[in-house]
Order: sequence, then C-alpha cells, then structure tokens
Amino acid sequence: MPVYSISHVENVRVCVVMVGLPARGKSLIAQKIVRYLSWLSIKSKCFNVGSYRRKIAGVTGADADATFFSPNNEEGLKFRQEAVNQAIKDMMSWFLDENGVVGILDATNSTRDRRSKILKLCRENYIEPLFLESWCNDEDLIKQNILDVKTTSPDYINKDSEFALSDFMKRIKFYETNYQTLNQDIDSNLSFIKLVNVNTQIILNRIESYLESRIVYYVMNLHIKPRAIYLSRHGESLYNLTGKIGGDADLSERGWKYAKKLPELVLKSLGEENINTDLTVWTSTLNRTQQTASFLPYKNKLQWKALDELDAGECDGMTYEEIEKQFPEDFKARDDNKYEYRYRGGESYRDIVIRLEPIIMELERQENILIITHQAVLRCIYAYFMNVPQEESPWMSIPLHTLIKLEPRAYSTIVSRIKADIPAVSTYKEKGTSQLGEFDNITSKSRDLLKGSSDGK
Amino acid sequence: MSHSIEDYEINHGFGSAPIEPQSPTAGKRTRKRWSFHESAKPNLVERPSVASSQGRRRLSDVDGVHKHINSDYISPAQLYSTESGRLFHAGKICIILAGLPGRGKTHLSVSLTRYLRWLGVKTHVFHLGDYRRKNFDADLDQKLFIENNNERLKLIDQCVNDILNFLENDLGQVAIYDAVNPFIKNRVELDAKFKKLNIQTLFIESSVTDDKIILKNMESAAKSSPDYVNWDYDKAYQDYSKRIEGLTPYYQPMGMEDDHNKLSYIKMINFGERIELHNSSYGYLINKVVFFLMNSRIKSGSVFFARCYNNSVDFSDDPPLDEEGKRYARNLSMTLMDYLKSQGKNYFDNSPEQSLHSNNSSSLSLKKQYSVDEKHLPAGADGVDENSFVVWTSVKSRTVETTRFFKDKNIKIRSRIQLSQKNPGIVGSMTEEEIAEKFPTEYEQFLKDPYHHRFSRAESYHDLAIKIEPLILEMERMSGDILIIADETVLKVFYGYLMASSCFDIPSLHFAQDEIIEMKFNAYSNMSKTIGIKDYS
Repeated sequence: MPVYSISHVENVRVCVVMVGLPARGKSLIAQKIVRYLSWLSIKSKCFNVGSYRRKIAGVTGADADATFFSPNNEEGLKFRQEAVNQAIKDMMSWFLDENGVVGILDATNSTRDRRSKILKLCRENYIEPLFLESWCNDEDLIKQNILDVKTTSPDYINKDSEFALSDFMKRIKFYETNYQTLNQDIDSNLSFIKLVNVNTQIILNRIESYLESRIVYYVMNLHIKPRAIYLSRHGESLYNLTGKIGGDADLSERGWKYAKKLPELVLKSLGEENINTDLTVWTSTLNRTQQTASFLPYKNKLQWKALDELDAGECDGMTYEEIEKQFPEDFKARDDNKYEYRYRGGESYRDIVIRLEPIIMELERQENILIITHQAVLRCIYAYFMNVPQEESPWMSIPLHTLIKLEPRAYSTIVSRIKADIPAVSTYKEKGTSQLGEFDNITSKSRDLLKGSSDGK
Repeated sequence: MSHSIEDYEINHGFGSAPIEPQSPTAGKRTRKRWSFHESAKPNLVERPSVASSQGRRRLSDVDGVHKHINSDYISPAQLYSTESGRLFHAGKICIILAGLPGRGKTHLSVSLTRYLRWLGVKTHVFHLGDYRRKNFDADLDQKLFIENNNERLKLIDQCVNDILNFLENDLGQVAIYDAVNPFIKNRVELDAKFKKLNIQTLFIESSVTDDKIILKNMESAAKSSPDYVNWDYDKAYQDYSKRIEGLTPYYQPMGMEDDHNKLSYIKMINFGERIELHNSSYGYLINKVVFFLMNSRIKSGSVFFARCYNNSVDFSDDPPLDEEGKRYARNLSMTLMDYLKSQGKNYFDNSPEQSLHSNNSSSLSLKKQYSVDEKHLPAGADGVDENSFVVWTSVKSRTVETTRFFKDKNIKIRSRIQLSQKNPGIVGSMTEEEIAEKFPTEYEQFLKDPYHHRFSRAESYHDLAIKIEPLILEMERMSGDILIIADETVLKVFYGYLMASSCFDIPSLHFAQDEIIEMKFNAYSNMSKTIGIKDYS
C-alpha cells in the first residue's frame, strides 16, 4: 500500500511530453523520472518513439542512417509517423488498462503541429499533458552527449564510430530545420517546463497539479553531465565479526585493511589521469563509515545523518539468532515483508527511503562521488539507480570490501564491481533463517543482482 | 571560536561536520536521530496553561510563524537534528523579495517561512514594514516608501542588521527580507553585502499582469494590513491604491539591466502561473523553495477541521456509523453549511446538472462537452477556483459516511489514506495508566518526547507529519474552502503546520468533539476560530 506516496493519484493522469533536439539528454531525463516515481511507488512508464521506429522500420528493412530523418524522405516520414502513433496508442491503453499514472512520451516532438496533436489526444482522454523541453546551445555539452549516445544508442550498434558520429550530427541537422522551441508567449496556454542549458535557466509555465510540481521539482535537481557514482559499505566492523546488527562499532583489523586499500581502488577506477580529481566523499555519522573514509586523499568529505544505518531499535546490538529467540513474531514478520517491517522502536526500509529523499535530490546534483554507508541504506540507493522493485531490494546481497561503480547513461546505467581481495565475513541473511551467509539454495531471486555486473578494473 | 564547527560548515556546507578520528568506543549506537534535544522540554513556567490542564492544551489562536525560534527548536517535519541546528548542505541564504505593493509579497514571505520552518529549516521573515511602523507611528507618509532619504535608509539598515544577526549569531539558515526593493542599485548592493559574508542571495520578484489578482490583494490589504488597523475600509483602500500608484513609476523590474545578470533570481508571474529561474546553480534547499512556490496560491477560503465520530474505535477495526454517529454527521454538516451560507458562500445551491465536476457524474457523460481546443483544469486539481469547497476524509468507513450530507449536495469528497489516525501500535486500546504499568520504560521515553516516540508497532506524530506533506502542499494549492474530517491525531499535525507550532506543542493540542475549528488565512498570520456544532435533531 503506497502509504507515503504522492497523494491524489487516483484522480490524476499525466503525460510528460518530451521536447528537444537529439542529444539534449531527453531519454536520460525520461528514464530518471520513471525511476524516481517508481521508487516512490507511483506507476509510471516511458514510451520511447525511437524504439518503436526501429521495430517498425526494421521489419521492412529500412536502414537507419541520417537520410531516414530527412524532411524530404517520404518513406522515413511515414515510418516515423507510424512509430509515434503506435507509441501514443500503447501509452493510452496503458493508462486505461493498467491504471498508469505518469506516462512519458520520449521523442523530439519538435514541431508545434506535432505537439498540438498530442495535446488534443491527451485532452480527449482526460490526461494532463506536461511538456518538458531540454534546450541547449552549449556546444561542449552537446558534444559530450553525442559521444555518449553514439556509444550506447541502439541505432549505432555494430556501426563504425566515425560513421556514427557524423551520421548522428547529420540527423540533428535535419531536426534543426523545423524545430520550434517552446515559447512563453505562443505556448502560454500549455503546462510546460523549459530547461535552458541544463538548468541555468528554467521556465515553469502553468504547473497545475501537485503531481506535476513534484515531477518538475525532481527534474530541476537533475543534470546530464557524465559522472561516476561509487558506492561502498564500510569495512568489516567488530560487530560484523560477531554477527551483531546495528551499533556504532569500530572497524576490525580486516576492515582497516580495506580502508587503507580504498584510495588505490578508487584511483585505479578513476584512471591515473584523474589523480587530481577532487572526488566528493559522503559518509554516515557512524564511526565505521568514517574510519573507512579516513585514508582517502580528497578534501571534500562530508558526513550525513540521513546515511546512518537502518535503526534496529530494540534489536540494536543483537544477533539474528538472538532476535529470532527473543522476538520470534517480529523475526517472521520481517522475513514476510522486509520492506515494510519496522523494528520495535526502529525503522523500516520504507522509512529509509523517506529519509533518503533529500539526499537523493542532493546526489542527483553531484558529479563524481563516493558514498560510504551501510547495507540497508546502500540497498535503497542502489534500488533507486537501478530500478530494483521494492519487494526485492531488501534481499539484495551487497558484500563487504567491494566497491560498486555506477555510470548513468542515456539508455542504461553501467554497473561494475571492484573487489578489494580482502576477506570479510558475510552479513547476508537469507529469508527464513537466522544464519548468515549466502547459501546455494537461493530463495530471493534478487540476491545476486549485483553479481551479474561486470568486474571493474 | 574562529575554528569552530561553524567555520567548517561555511566552507563545506551546513549540516556537514569534519570527519575526525573518534575515541574507540565499540558498543551500542549512542547518537540516535533525535539525540540533540532529548532533554529539551518546553518551559512550563512561561506557559502555565500547559501545566494546569492535565497536559491538554486548548488551541491557541496565535500563529507562531513570527515567533523567535531558539537553537533547540525542533520543527514538526524535520528529518533529523544537527548540532549546529542547520540542515542540509545548503549554506546560509537570504531570500530578498521585490515587487510593488499588492503583489502578495507578505503572503509569500510568511507562507514560505511557515513551510521552511515546518521542514526544520531555521527561517525568519523580516518585514521592512514592521520597522517602518515601529519607528514612524501611524505616519504613512508616502515618501517613506519611495525616496532614498536618510530615514528610509536607516530603516533598511536596522532590518538588514537584524537579518545578519539572525544568520550569524542565532544560527539561522534562511532569512526572508520582505520589502519592495524597487531599485536595481540597492539590490546589487545588498547582494554584494551578503555575498561578502558567505551568505547566498536569492531574489524573488512577484509580478502580476492580471488586474484581478491586484484588486483582490488590495482588498485584503485594506482589510487586514497592520498599516490600516482601525481605518475605515474605503479610506484604507484609497490610501493603499495611492501608495501603489506612487511607487509604480520608480519600480525597476528584475532582469532589465545587465547588473542583474549576476544575481540569482526567480520571477514569479501571477502567483505561480509562470515561474522563471535565472542564474540558478541552486542547492537542494532553494529547489525546495521553488517547489513550494509552484504550489503556493493566494487563499480566499478557510480550512475547517472536524473530528470524526468515535475516536475510541480500535485502529484495525472499521465499523460503520451507528445512530449516534449519524446524528453527529448530520449536525456537523448542517452547522457548517449554515455557517458557510452565512458567509455568503453558495456551494449548496447547485442543482446536480450544474456541477459538472462533481463526483457523481461519470467521465463518460462529460466527454461530449469537453472541448479539446482549450485548456482545462486538471482532473485531479481541486480548489483551483476560489469559490470551491472540497471535503477530505480518511478511508475509514465512519469518516467517509460522515460526508454523506455533503455528497448529497454534490460537494467533492476526497478520501485520503494519509488522513487515517495515528497507528497506536500495541498500546492501542490501553489507557495511559495501563501503558505506564505495562511498559514503564517505554512510557518514560514517551513522556520525554511524545512527538517522536513510537511505541512498538506504532506511528509517531512525526511519522504523520512526514506522511501528510503532500496534503499540505495540495492544501497550499487550493484557493477555496476545505473541510478536513479526520482523527484528532491527524488534525493536531495539520493545525501545527498552519499555526507554525513546534513539535513540543502538537501532542498536547486538544480538539473538542462538538466543535469545528476554522483556520483563516491572512497574509501576515493565520487565525483560528471555533464554531460550535449545533443540535439539529
């Protein structure tokens, strides 16, 4: 039950209509909105017209090079129109059949004519259209995005990279010829957000419902510069050795070893050429994360109370075996619904998500960053970036002494694991047992989510 | 003093603290989320009403939004406390308003203060008008508003000096400076002065192109501005419009000169119709301000609080209303309907065909009348019209059934899960004595901090405050009247928001069963009024 989610969703349906030339970060923004809303338990889905186009054109064998996007290519126009129609049709039936709340139409929607068609369709179906334009004339930023797109876009799989670059530039040129930006005078009647050069200027026009304001608020905190987010648990602690949960213990000997090795791991991953990068480091206010950060050479280290481990309340300082013995009902209740279960006098995973929200906003605003925190908090942060469903995220295994690197891209987030090769106990608890460790008879399908990622160098 | 945590925060962000090696005390976690105020209790000597009435507090009608806040002040929706009292890595900020009179600046600055305080940001609003009134008793010489004469500059100096003291010495995080600020030159100077002291500035200009809004604001100023206490309404109205007229030629809008390119500013047009952010490399906190601005509207209506019938029902039970409850529902509805009618509101005269947006008409039957060529109000946006009335209840049967009489009159009813009573957990059906006997240590903790304490399986008031934040912003969006029928625990938290109460006050507030509380919005401060529920049987 989405107790804490945005209210009123029973009445509002919003269609976010993306507007902007290629390589303006539209897909990235669209994906992020979906991720954020899902994290908050609001049903949302992105409809990417590009993938419809590939599907439709692919069948008839039309090849995706730039000429396909020429305003004079009639066959191309026909396919593109069909792709838009199909995407909109699917979106409308998603709203109706699956009770969707926020649908995102990810396409250039670059002409006023196209936009007014979508507008009418939305109004016919009692859906609020919210136009979101990313407008940019900062050449460097555009180039960065182009490089990113050409390496990850499905349009250029198996294509020579020079070709991809020049072809993509050509495609943008075609779009530029008839692009009409949102204008506060002409379009004053629409609900729209216009982001100019990645939020240096923002225009918000007629934001008329709470849900819309919430989406706008989130988007305002986004940037589309490439970056890496490093996540790590603290080094092995004295409590970890004895299987106790919570507490504010110091690192074990092996934990200190990890702390000493961490600077090297980070630098290796950043690349020697970035030796002077001033990485931002965040920790919790608890000793074990600060000790883990203590050998990092970066100046900008901050501790946040919101990154503290899940508060186990009365169970703080106990082992799972002790909890099972002393509070058998609680122990079972937690296994049954780990996301909602709140420790006596303590917190639940949902509570963490709520207190993390301000941090998530601040995190979206950061560039390269390393976060050293705790198992439960890391699960929630990881779930946010990787769109892990609520019921699964508390069961993910996140081993000690492992650095996780996330690189958000337009079409996906690249995850890699960097192991420190320093042994540590396992703090993973499988459903239905009080014993720690990862056993072969897996009951939680999400446990090994992280293991599927590549081993980073 | 010079190398204190304060200095560290100025350079690295507020709420942050340097990471230093700490004494190796392996053991239980000592610092909980609320550790900094564990011993802080309200001063009962100065508030005799608390000590006398068995911990039950009558609702005061004083809005706390202008109250001085101490460094140990914990606000209702604050997520955690910090040693410095400042939250987030947001720095110190001075929000400087600009705009002609009648543009809703006072309303904006006060409601923003309320919201930020509620979030736990130490915020104080400084109205230049207060300084003028203090120094020039009843003297409404127009020159004081316009010219850069010495008297005016002296007032500004006093006000700015208080702002700096608040930020530097009282651990304030956000100061809101409410004044016309008509001159570009002064704005640039202010900006430079604050920046030198590591205080970020953000200008918010309220401009209005819709004359209707100005007229409405003028009416409300003539009625309720502290400048016109004991004035004849017509005279006050004339004087106010003369003031606006006199100032208009001098006013220099933001964004017209190159100087402004350096300033961070928000232009707010027609109270939220359009919001433009310029030069924004803003932090989380400022984005939150914009979030509020998107939802802030000028209020014409009131919020009415009424308790739902029978609070003693077990939390998990959901019985329908009994006969007594039905009588209560009828009396409550009739009382409010009569009251609203006496205020000249005619929500209840509509015949069913006239009210297109009511709950009863299905969307299908509407379809034909719905033109796709013009903009419509969003389906879920309530209370956009200042002449609207919406009822909120929880999802429990007894509160939903209580709204029957309103539903019959085609009033919009919204059931919200967030309005369910505070989950009392395992102590649900126990009396306080029983709790004290059965869980003595927990009870002791509860007495120390009734706002944050959670009994096993229970919710705290703080949990409610976090939960209803969306509703609070929706409430801010709605211009018309709202009736909230809910359990007392929820009403306390809403009331706490509207009256800017601290979290020490909220648990002991008391709502009588036979009363409706009306919260009236006012630019400067909110007021509460009691309406006795009459017997119509």
